Amino acid sequence: MLKLHQWKLLALGLIANILLSANFALGDTKRWDVINWLDVVSEGGATLLALVWLLLILHSRPAGRVTQWLSLGLSCIFLAGFQDWLDEFITFPEAALWDHWVESGLMPIGLALLTLGIYHWHQEQIAINEQLRKRERLFREHRGLDFITQLNGAAYLRKQLQQELATHYRNQSSLTLVFIDIDYFDDTNRRYGHQEGDRFLQALGEFILLNIRGNDLLCRYAGDRFALVLPNTGRLMTEALAAEITRAIRHFAFKSRMQGESIFHTASIGIALTDSHQQDTADSLIERATVALLHAKEKRKSVLDQVA
Amino acid sequence: MNPDIPTTPDGYYLPQAWREIDTAFVHADGWPGNLIKLACTRGHQEHKLLRNTGIFLQDLSHKALQFSAAQLLQLIGNILKHPAGHELAFLLCNDLFTKSQTLENANNVHEFLELFTKDSYAISPLLSPHFHYEKERLVIYWQDNFGAASLMPFLLEMIFTALQIYTRRRAGYQLPWTYHVSHHKPAYIEQYQVHLGTQVLFNARSNAMSIARTELYRSWNPPGSATQIAQTFTIDTTHQKIIAPPMRGFLHEIYYYLKTNIHHNPHLEKTAQDFGMSSASLKRKLQKHNSSFQQQFDQARKHLALDWLSKEGITQEEVAQHLHFYDAANLRRAFKRWTGQLPGKL
Repeated sequence: MLKLHQWKLLALGLIANILLSANFALGDTKRWDVINWLDVVSEGGATLLALVWLLLILHSRPAGRVTQWLSLGLSCIFLAGFQDWLDEFITFPEAALWDHWVESGLMPIGLALLTLGIYHWHQEQIAINEQLRKRERLFREHRGLDFITQLNGAAYLRKQLQQELATHYRNQSSLTLVFIDIDYFDDTNRRYGHQEGDRFLQALGEFILLNIRGNDLLCRYAGDRFALVLPNTGRLMTEALAAEITRAIRHFAFKSRMQGESIFHTASIGIALTDSHQQDTADSLIERATVALLHAKEKRKSVLDQVA
Repeated sequence: MNPDIPTTPDGYYLPQAWREIDTAFVHADGWPGNLIKLACTRGHQEHKLLRNTGIFLQDLSHKALQFSAAQLLQLIGNILKHPAGHELAFLLCNDLFTKSQTLENANNVHEFLELFTKDSYAISPLLSPHFHYEKERLVIYWQDNFGAASLMPFLLEMIFTALQIYTRRRAGYQLPWTYHVSHHKPAYIEQYQVHLGTQVLFNARSNAMSIARTELYRSWNPPGSATQIAQTFTIDTTHQKIIAPPMRGFLHEIYYYLKTNIHHNPHLEKTAQDFGMSSASLKRKLQKHNSSFQQQFDQARKHLALDWLSKEGITQEEVAQHLHFYDAANLRRAFKRWTGQLPGKL
C-alpha cells in the first residue's frame, strides 16, 4: 500500500528537510548543559509516534479523500512536533517568530484536519458495514476470515452462535442454523483442479449472499459446506428460504475458466432450530444441523446417483 | 497382504536397505509439488512456506527433483504455521493417487488395498499401512516411517481423506470407514466433520482406520466413468517404479526388525550390530528420527500384545512370556502405560 502514497511521503520528507536546514541556518545550537533531556525524549517520542501513525494509516488504506485528510492532519502534527523538538537544541533570536508559527500554528490545523479525516472515516465505515452486513454480525474478527470466500469461518460461527443463543434465550426468540453442502464437490475439484474449485466456492459465497436477507449471516464452515444463521425465523420460513437457495444453486451455471463450459451443482440442506425445551449450545446446534444434513444426503442419494 | 519377509532359515530377520530422514526419494511433481502450489494459491507466502526446507521455488519445475522426508516434514511444519494451514491436509486427496494408474484396476476394497500396499511408498511415503483383522473388522494401522512427531495429525488427515474420497469415487457410495486417531479433538473439528464425516474417534490407542470385513469384497462399478478422468493423467510413471524399490523408512525398518525378531529378545547392542553400526550411532540415528530404542521396542511389543490378546486361545501369561515380561502383572502394567487401558477391556 505504501507505494500508492510515495509522493505524499516524499513531500513530507522534503518539508522536514527544509525545516531542518532553516533551523540550522537561522538559529544557534544550544550548549549541552542547557538542553532539557526530559523534553527531548518526550517531544521526540510524541513526534516519532505521529510519524508511525501516519505510516500505518498510509500502509493500510488506499488513496482517496479520507486518506488525504488523515495523512495531511498527521503530517501537520508531525511537522509541528518536529519543530518543537528541534527547539530543544536550537535557539532563535527574539525577533524571529516563524518557528513559533510552525510550532503553534501547524498543531491546531493538523488536529482539525485529523478530526475531519476521522469523521469521514466514520462515515466510510458505516458504508462498509452495510456492505459487510450479511458477512458479519455483532463483532469483527479478521483472523478467522476465509481466504477464498472472504467469509468468516467455523470458529467465528461458533462464537457468534454462543453470543446469539444467550440473547435469544433471554428474549425468548428463535434462532436457526442452516448448513448448505454441495453434492459431489470433490468431483469438480478433481476434474477441473483446485483453482477452479476455489473460484466456484468464491462465486457461490457471493451468490448465496444475494439470496439471503439483510439480517442473515453467512459463514464458510469448511470445505464446500456453508453455514447460514437466521435470526427469528420459524421452521416454515426456514424451509422456504432453504428451498429457494437450493433452487438457485441448481440453476447457477458456473463457467470454467479454460473452456468456458457450464458446471452445475446441487446442494443438500441441514436445518437445526433452537429448542424451546432445552438450552442449546453452539455445538449442539451444529451437531443437529450436521445430522440433518447427513440424513438429507442419504435420502437424496438415489436421486443424486442418477444425476451423477 | 504382508510382503514376503526375508529371513534366515531359523526365522531370524536381518535388516534390509532402508531410507533415512534425509534420503531424497519423494518425487516433487507428485503431491508435494501440488501441496506447495495449493498453499501458494491459498495465500501462503513462498518464503515462509519454503523456509529451512532447502527447496527453492524455481527448482520445482525440474521433473527429477526429489524431496527427503525431512524436507517434507519441514514443509508441512511451515504450512501449519499459517492460521488456515491445517485445511490443506484435507484437500490433497486427488493428488495422492494420480501417479498410480494400477490402482484403477481394483474391483473391490480388498484388491485396492493390495495394490495400494505395493505402491504405498510412492503414494504415502511418510506413513506405511499395516493390515490386521480384528474380529469382524479389517484394521489398517498407520506407522510413522520417519519420526513425524507433532505432524502426525496432518499426515493422517491427508491419507484418510484421500482413501475415503478415492474409495467413494470408485465404489460409487460412501464406504463406512471408522477413523481412530491418537491425538485430541482439534480446534478445527469442522474439517473432520466435512471431509471425514462423523466416524472419527479421538484419543484412540493407535492411528488406524477400520471397516467391516463384509465391505471388502463388494464389487465396485467398472471404471467406465473413471476412464475419462484417467485420460487427463496419462503421465508415464514407469520411471518411478525403477527408482523407488520397496525400501522401508528407517523407523519402519527398526520396528519391523524388532517385531519380527521378538522371540530373540532384541536389545540395543544386538540391533546396532545387525544394522551395521555402533550403539552410539544407532542411538544418534534414532534421535534424529525423533525416537529412541525403548520407544520403538515398546511400540513393537504394544502392537504384538494388541494382536495376540485379541486372538482366542492365548493367555496373558503366554503373551507376557513372548514379549519378555517377568509375569502377566508386568505386562498389564506396561499395557496400561501404552494404551491407557487394561488388556482385559479390549
